[in-house]
Amino acid sequence: MKKIINGIVFENPILVGMLGLCSTLAVTNKFENAYVMGICVLVVLVLSNFIISIIKKLVPENVRIPVYILIISTLVTIIEILLQKYVKNIYNVLGIYLPLIVVNCIILGRALQVASKEKVIPSVLDAIGVGLGYTFVLMIVSLFREILGSNTLTLMDNISSLTGYKAIYKIFPSNDILPINLFSKEAGAFLTLGLLIALAKYIGGKHESN
Amino acid sequence: MGPYLKSEKDTSTIMRHLIVALIPIVVFAYIKNGIIPFVKGYTNIFGMFYPLIFIFICMASTFFFESLYRIIFQKKKIKEALENSYSFFPGLFLGLILPINTPIVLLILAAFVSSIIAKMLFGGFGNNIFNPALVGRLFIISAYAIVIGKSGGYLNSYEIDTISSGTPLTNASLINGIGTYNTLVKPYGSLMNFFIGTIPGCVGETSALLCLLAFVYLTYFKAIKWKIPIFYILTVFSITYVIGGMNNLGIWYPLFQIFSGGLMFGAVFMATDPVTSPVTPIGQILYGIFLGILTVVFRFLTPFPEGVLTSILTMNMFVMILDKIGSIARFNFKVTVVPFVIAWFLIFGLGIGISLNLKNVKKDKNFSILEKNVSGSKISYVVTQKGYSSVIKARIVIDNKKVYEFTVLEQNDSFYQKIMDEDYTNKLILDSDIDTVTGATVTSTALKTMLKNTLEDYGE
Repeated sequence: MKKIINGIVFENPILVGMLGLCSTLAVTNKFENAYVMGICVLVVLVLSNFIISIIKKLVPENVRIPVYILIISTLVTIIEILLQKYVKNIYNVLGIYLPLIVVNCIILGRALQVASKEKVIPSVLDAIGVGLGYTFVLMIVSLFREILGSNTLTLMDNISSLTGYKAIYKIFPSNDILPINLFSKEAGAFLTLGLLIALAKYIGGKHESN
Repeated sequence: MGPYLKSEKDTSTIMRHLIVALIPIVVFAYIKNGIIPFVKGYTNIFGMFYPLIFIFICMASTFFFESLYRIIFQKKKIKEALENSYSFFPGLFLGLILPINTPIVLLILAAFVSSIIAKMLFGGFGNNIFNPALVGRLFIISAYAIVIGKSGGYLNSYEIDTISSGTPLTNASLINGIGTYNTLVKPYGSLMNFFIGTIPGCVGETSALLCLLAFVYLTYFKAIKWKIPIFYILTVFSITYVIGGMNNLGIWYPLFQIFSGGLMFGAVFMATDPVTSPVTPIGQILYGIFLGILTVVFRFLTPFPEGVLTSILTMNMFVMILDKIGSIARFNFKVTVVPFVIAWFLIFGLGIGISLNLKNVKKDKNFSILEKNVSGSKISYVVTQKGYSSVIKARIVIDNKKVYEFTVLEQNDSFYQKIMDEDYTNKLILDSDIDTVTGATVTSTALKTMLKNTLEDYGE
């Protein structure tokens, strides 16, 4: 449990480690995309940490990065094929950022830092914590971006072929000020993420001084 | 006192001089956007005071937001928080660089962005990297361009009625920045109007004369870094001079470029901001030169009409590097020379490059010359131009730069009867700048551009 909270709060990959920012900026224009992306990364992270911590003694030191990348890319390809089969729409929306999970620094970073040193259960717990931390930040960023940028909240739209429900809510009555289209573009992503990191640093600084 | 200030004068003296320099500009903005429309009967008594209310709302809201931030996050007492004497400054600048028709809610939002996000979150006065007022404007312009356009854009109520096009730079960017005196300057009067400032634009940025006076005043009292505006404006002038020269435009063209838009105001007040500009002399010169280069690049090579705001914000990021170059260059001749050589190469290369690039773009794709017979000074053309629903073919005879004959040979446009009724082609012969025919706007515009293109070909 301590390991999971550590991954979410103190070693949060985005807010503290500044890792995986590319996908954070790119897919967070809709709440739905954000959590699907988060879950994909979470699954890949848990499985890769699990496999790598099992085989860590078999892999020689000087070829471990190629081997780890191979494992990760196999897992990502499996996820990709599954998404393509069952939720084609979201596979199209996520596009190139799905295969790019392979080079997401969070996964390789956790593999090198944790899974290649620790035992199986701690490294899986660590992966769950870090993956949840990533997912939460993505969800927060996309919550702000979608509500401000397109005045909607998409809980289920493209994944409705899997769940059978559609859930898109309109938040504010439409007026001149909202939506601010800027927030559904890249500039809004940078702005939201920057303010979020500033807030995290502010809270973290307060925590430390106490 | 800001940490980057090196002069012996303290910040409050500089700020006092800035206020004195800004007073004429505010008064001019009030006369141009409030009194003149009121006197000519385009607005009511509220509209007369609106420019002042506009600026006041900006100042009051930045003051309010900054005080609030200090009370909540810095745990200051209310009296202490209200004593932050410069918090209204971003608001004052913001009020001068926004379009007059910006809705009041957006004004308050811009004030929030500039005082909280661009200033206080970076650590308050003296620590901000970017110019707060410009960040506020950038946010509003990029997020709400459509809303501002819908409520009237840059033109005040008097200008909307008298001037049919937008601001001079919007007008210029529609034709890739290159045009004749008649298309670029004529719609707004003469270059004198550009100099005095009776042209459309943001609330307080239009008057080049008052900006120059403010520059002289501030330089005399050593309140700003004079090198930055001088080198900024000179660079823009020389690049646009090269561009104008390559396109056979006179000396009016670079003057048009430096008097229009926010260049003068930005160079004097925004680029010299004491916190976000270099302190070393060579750093300041380089800062000015690169600002000029970027402004021209943004004006000519992007779809946006104006580039002052973006180039100042971009160069704000390089202030540290420029200061480092400046401090090394003090003792090292080679380091001093190299950046300048690069800068001057860029200036002339850019001028030539842009004008070559624009010449290719300029040719009208819908226009083509079928026949061209020269006899003495008289040239008779047979040309085609795409009209509303068909291609119009016409014979045009030009003698001594005067249109001699303009006969439409073939056309199949649905509203052509209107043109016949108005006898439009004969009117065009007498005055090639005459207004288009309502009801057959596309066809008449096609005829007009056809004549213009032919005249251009004759000129070459």
